[in-house]
Amino acid sequence: MNSAQIEIQLIASLVAVACAIPGTFLVLRKMAMISDAISHSILPGIVIGFFITQDLNSPLLILLAAITGIITVVLVEHIQKTGLVKEDTAIGLVFPALFSIGVIMIAKNANDVHLDVDAVLLGELAFAPFDRLFIAGTDVGPKSLWIIGAILLITLGLLFAFFKELKISTFDAGLAASLGFSPALIHYGLMTVSSVTTVGAFDAVGAILVVALMIAPAAAAYLITTDLKKMLLLAIIFGVFSAISGYWFAHWLDASIAGSITTMLGLLFLIVYLFAPSKGLIAVMYREKQQRIEVSLLTFLLHLKNHDDIEERHVNHLNEHINWQKVRSKTVLDLAQKNNMIEIDNKIVSLTEKGDEFTSKAIDYIITNEDAQIEDMKDDFFLFRG
Amino acid sequence: MKKIAVQVDDLTVAYNYKPVLWDIDLEIPEGVLMAIVGPNGAGKSTLIKAILGILKPIAGSVSIYGKPYEKQRDLVAYVPQKGSVDWDFPTTALDVVMMGTYGSLGWIKRPSQKEKKAALEALEKVGMLPFKNRQISQLSGGQQQRIFLARALVQDASIYFMDEPFQGVDATTEIAIINILKELRKAGKTVIVVHHDLQTVPEYFDWVTFLNVKKIATGPVKDIFNDDNLTKTYGINYKVSIQE
Ligand SMILES: Nc1ncnc2c1ncn2[C@@H]1O[C@H](COP(=O)(O)OP(=O)(O)OP(=O)(O)O)[C@@H](O)[C@H]1O
Ligand SMILES: [Mg+2]
Repeated sequence: MNSAQIEIQLIASLVAVACAIPGTFLVLRKMAMISDAISHSILPGIVIGFFITQDLNSPLLILLAAITGIITVVLVEHIQKTGLVKEDTAIGLVFPALFSIGVIMIAKNANDVHLDVDAVLLGELAFAPFDRLFIAGTDVGPKSLWIIGAILLITLGLLFAFFKELKISTFDAGLAASLGFSPALIHYGLMTVSSVTTVGAFDAVGAILVVALMIAPAAAAYLITTDLKKMLLLAIIFGVFSAISGYWFAHWLDASIAGSITTMLGLLFLIVYLFAPSKGLIAVMYREKQQRIEVSLLTFLLHLKNHDDIEERHVNHLNEHINWQKVRSKTVLDLAQKNNMIEIDNKIVSLTEKGDEFTSKAIDYIITNEDAQIEDMKDDFFLFRG
Repeated sequence: MKKIAVQVDDLTVAYNYKPVLWDIDLEIPEGVLMAIVGPNGAGKSTLIKAILGILKPIAGSVSIYGKPYEKQRDLVAYVPQKGSVDWDFPTTALDVVMMGTYGSLGWIKRPSQKEKKAALEALEKVGMLPFKNRQISQLSGGQQQRIFLARALVQDASIYFMDEPFQGVDATTEIAIINILKELRKAGKTVIVVHHDLQTVPEYFDWVTFLNVKKIATGPVKDIFNDDNLTKTYGINYKVSIQE
């Protein structure tokens, strides 16, 4: 690896981390679309900032563009508050308007603006190492690395300071307000961080990748964990993983880096969506199958409990009596035997003590729906996992 | 005469400039267990939210023991109406109860072992200790309600506001909750509950407020819980054939 390659991966990874943090809260607040809106509507802010500063990396430009992001949020909320349209409609009204203002401004001034729409939307990571920052004449590294590094530091600082406030205002805004943590303040704080991150990253990776990096890792993490801290951590890991693997994918294909990273994010989400331990598609299907079998098992155990006569408990009669196909009867018999719930003696099935106890408890549960009594059975049986 | 725990003067609250509470005057004495009753949309939740500063009134004022709410936050605990929180949020029962301690912690400071211990005790009190690590969406409706009660208990307040704590809970849980509320009253706390089941008002509460956009009446249950006030509040000709 040469130093440019390392720098590109470093920039991409820092952008990934900086995006994953606000992204996690956007996903939890069901505001994924807002990041899309911000990423487009900052264009006029960038153009105006560029007229003033003549420098795409100036902090003033970042600030101006971030303000456009906040204006977007305020406008969306204002339109939504009229009650005439829903949030997604309001978003759809606001950002194309702002974005097209930006496009027109670029077109009108094409001669003196070194800026084009493609660059804003797609960015070009490959060029990031060429735009260097010099302090007192010494080369200290790519400018984008410094910009995104600074933004990431601020984001991390805010996250550590206000983690509890972010959590409570996202989960229960009413309680947060009654305890004196202004949810509005935290909301706009989050929006500001999202806007600043988007602007700071657009030059290097483009607006579309920013949105993907904010939403996809957080959405994937959400499918895996039920712990907010782990969700943040996973989102960060997923983001960085996609950034680095995307870089090498692009290297191998000789394709756009931002495009490859986005592809990786898509793939990663797909894999998690399929294989996540409890919320994934396959886990859900497996659980449903297990539940079917266990309902059958319970039906079978109940049958045994209710019938004392030998005839009713003969293996061969099971098919007729409970009306199951052979395969199913066998699965159920095996499962019951594996769990020491039944004994088969001379083809006559009877409940063991454990089976008897289990059946009584299970009936109790079904009747009273009282969870506490079956807490200890939960690990063995899907049926009771709510 | 007892101290006044909550005083509401000329309170008017509007959503998008459409008033839903008109000119409410209300005095809640310390140490009562009070029901707020009124039809759906009467403004019961709105009244509580306005008292707690969650909504800004367009007119009027609220005081808690003679001072504005902002100065008295530590004295007040709140159990919101169900459905006002995000049930799919990645958090456990214990974590939700811990949130009750955030108010006394203030900004930035994080909960420590002390807060955790208090939360565990509150969970124990509402009989939810075995479920402490459960993700909250995996709890039944009644269990979720108990978690919110525990979260209010952990705030160790003087005044408790509860918006329909009995919504969707079974008889056992309802009795468990009302017993905890009665215990709070015995300890000298003031408890204000939005309540829909008129049948149980005389049995559970000693104070009642009738509300329907305006305040209809407020006072001791034995004096004012009658057909007249119920009819004024609910519109239809109401007959309480329930009391002794
Ligand atoms: N966020 C809101 N925006 C606009 N109107 C609202 C909002 N919340 C409540 N309202 C309206 O304000 C009125 C009072 O609502 P509130 O929730 O206080 O009623 P409630 O007495 O608590 O009813 P319920 O018994 O159904 O809980 C209703 O007409 C309702 O439609
Ligand atoms: Mg209500």
